[in-house]
Amino acid sequence: MRWTIRIRVLYQAFFLFVFVWLLDRLAAGDPRAFPYTVFHHGDPLSATGTALAAGTIPGALAWSAALIGLTLLLGRVFCGWVCPLGTLQQLASFLFSGRSRRESLLVNRHRRWYALKYYALAALLVGALAGTLQTGVLDPLSLTARGLASGVWPVLPGGRPVPGGWLAALLLLGIVVASRWIPRLFCRAFCPLGALLGVFARFAVFRIHRGDDACNSCTLCAFACQGADEPLGRHRVGECMVCLNCVSACPESAIGYRALPPLPQPPPPDLSRRTLVGTVLTSLAVAPLLRAAGGGRATARAGLLRPPGALAENGFLERCVKCSLCQQACPTGAIQPAIAQAGVEGFWTPVIVPRRGWCEFACTRCGEVCPTSAITRLSAARKTGYDGKPPVRIGTAFVDRGRCLPWAMQTPCIVCEEMCPTDPKAIWLEAAVETARDGSERRLQRPRVEPARCVGCGICENKCPVGEDAAIRVTSVGETRNPLNRLLAGEPPS
Amino acid sequence: MSDPERPGITRREAVLRLASTAAAAAAVGVGVAVFHDRRLVTAAAAAIPDWRVPIASRPPAAAARGADPAANVRRAVAALGGVGRFVRPGESVLIKPNVGWDRLPEQAADTDPAVVAELVRLCRDAGARRVVVADLSCNDPRRCFASSGIAAAAGAAGAEVLDARRLRLTPAALAGLAQGLEVVEELLQADRVINVPVVKHHSLSGVTIGMKNWFGVLGPGRNRLHQEIDRAVAELGATFRPTLTLVDATRILAANGPVGGSLADVRAVGAVLAATDPVLADAWGASLLGRRPATLGFIAQAEQRGLGRADLALVQELGTA
Repeated sequence: MRWTIRIRVLYQAFFLFVFVWLLDRLAAGDPRAFPYTVFHHGDPLSATGTALAAGTIPGALAWSAALIGLTLLLGRVFCGWVCPLGTLQQLASFLFSGRSRRESLLVNRHRRWYALKYYALAALLVGALAGTLQTGVLDPLSLTARGLASGVWPVLPGGRPVPGGWLAALLLLGIVVASRWIPRLFCRAFCPLGALLGVFARFAVFRIHRGDDACNSCTLCAFACQGADEPLGRHRVGECMVCLNCVSACPESAIGYRALPPLPQPPPPDLSRRTLVGTVLTSLAVAPLLRAAGGGRATARAGLLRPPGALAENGFLERCVKCSLCQQACPTGAIQPAIAQAGVEGFWTPVIVPRRGWCEFACTRCGEVCPTSAITRLSAARKTGYDGKPPVRIGTAFVDRGRCLPWAMQTPCIVCEEMCPTDPKAIWLEAAVETARDGSERRLQRPRVEPARCVGCGICENKCPVGEDAAIRVTSVGETRNPLNRLLAGEPPS
Repeated sequence: MSDPERPGITRREAVLRLASTAAAAAAVGVGVAVFHDRRLVTAAAAAIPDWRVPIASRPPAAAARGADPAANVRRAVAALGGVGRFVRPGESVLIKPNVGWDRLPEQAADTDPAVVAELVRLCRDAGARRVVVADLSCNDPRRCFASSGIAAAAGAAGAEVLDARRLRLTPAALAGLAQGLEVVEELLQADRVINVPVVKHHSLSGVTIGMKNWFGVLGPGRNRLHQEIDRAVAELGATFRPTLTLVDATRILAANGPVGGSLADVRAVGAVLAATDPVLADAWGASLLGRRPATLGFIAQAEQRGLGRADLALVQELGTA
């Protein structure tokens, strides 16, 4: 292994370690303010997507311009040196594929269908322009964080279950395992972030260069080429991930990576204009269909409890990149990836499932780590209403009188009231005397909800001793973020 | 050398195969050690030990008042004969404060950190080998232990602070309680156990003080105990026999309990009671909330079962320092 390769492997290991370590610190609830969103803020795909969908580039996402600049200088070094998903795939292909030299050459040849990623990028960006942000489904940073948060931490000792997360974990696993047959298959054929960087990498200053005089066409350079960019033939700069395997493999030192004069005609992505136009038109049509399919965003859904501080559904779906950082940060395991709760376009966006966990009254962790401000940052005083204004409400709790022990079974129980964190408690107890089956008198305290006090945190539902379906359940009505989803007449609209 | 009937393998290959087999076995072993659930294989439910020490003619309880919670702790414990009476050198002590809620000390939903810290110091000074401060919180344990100030104060005083993430549960013989309950394993390993509740209002049992504080060593399912709260709390008092009960009344929560929130519900009392009689401890705390002990069902039941006496005249009042 030449020293260039060693340095690259060190970089890859470092960035993968930092990526996983930050997720681990999030799950551990580390109170220190680590830069949890650093990868996601450098992601130009998220920045472009939210800019197109929401008309704004929230917060530190502007930093992603630096990655574009880096790509214009050095090419797709992000893919080859930084991206954790790229590293995982390269590792899998390194460990598990025992190919002969002939097979290696075959598998590292460019295929026309590797251009799929450009169509995917076009479809995602046009979809974003049409108002539905789906870049997070395929964005490698979101995809990796989501797969790890839903697939790895839940099975670690002390991990909290994420019942809807198996699909995200399976997608990540599938992508990594696929590298056993085609190295970096996802990067080559599907990654929209790689495609976006590829668009700029064509103009890169530093590029792979083959000196024709020294080259004896031995094909060793293509043996471990990660990007299938054919350094031996007409080099495809936009596909090259700057892994530098070709440079170190060349026995004649014919291949180098250095600053070169701009290409007279940078090779464009290998696209068919007809297919591209079709893709654009299709995604223009699909975006509103997706929105309508779930019943529309205007329809409030009972089970759609968004994290505290989440924007109204339109704004939320224009920003959420499905990265699972909020899910990983939630101390109680309340935040789960939505499967059906948020419609088709809200797939994998975060929802609160009170039976899994409750929203801790003074906790504002999810908003602190949201990279795109789909969940706004709240102070504890703002969230709880201790600043004098109305608290931030997620929903409202409703007692199911058919299941509640005092209401239905004449059995004492006050757990929901005991747990209620508001002050005074939103759940109060109505004293009642009832006649039991044997004719004796039973004194009971029956829980009632005062909706003006309830913030919908869901601790009542979580701790309710009635198994599976709790006897008190939170639905989204009354949520602060939606001025139309209201319960009480006297309440101000927002 | 090579016999076609009995094909041999080279020494090199034998070593490699043995090594890979051993590595695979070790990996499986590590996986089993990490992932197996001890609770499913624990054979018998463990009995709850009795942590009391025999006590002679001392007062069963002593209450100290004053602005400094730490001084109150020292005076109250000294009046019962000093901490050396209860904790011997080399023993391990588990302190069970109420760290149930993500609240600040001023909100009086959790035990005062200064009381817990002073008790830790007393135990360390008495030569305790290990002092553990543990509770299974109702809110997120990290936030509870941080907000209440107990993690910092008890840790600085030399205790090992264990929250729900680091406590293991084990099935225990809880005869009169709901089926299938588990208790904190560290509790069973401790030589001495000191209960350090805070005095609070509770809408079902009237008040929550010492015996109700044992909810915090029970695992999932404890919320079903509310269905017969008075009997359950008395049963807890009969099951868990602490060395000492130290009632924190530095601040008490008079309404909206046991979570509280509003400072309007908090009353500064500035008192600490040390007691060897848990029923008397609860009776004293209840009186601070303006409740006559006899009107509280769980105190009456505990007294009937002979767990202690709810006679406030037995409390030695040490007055204000």
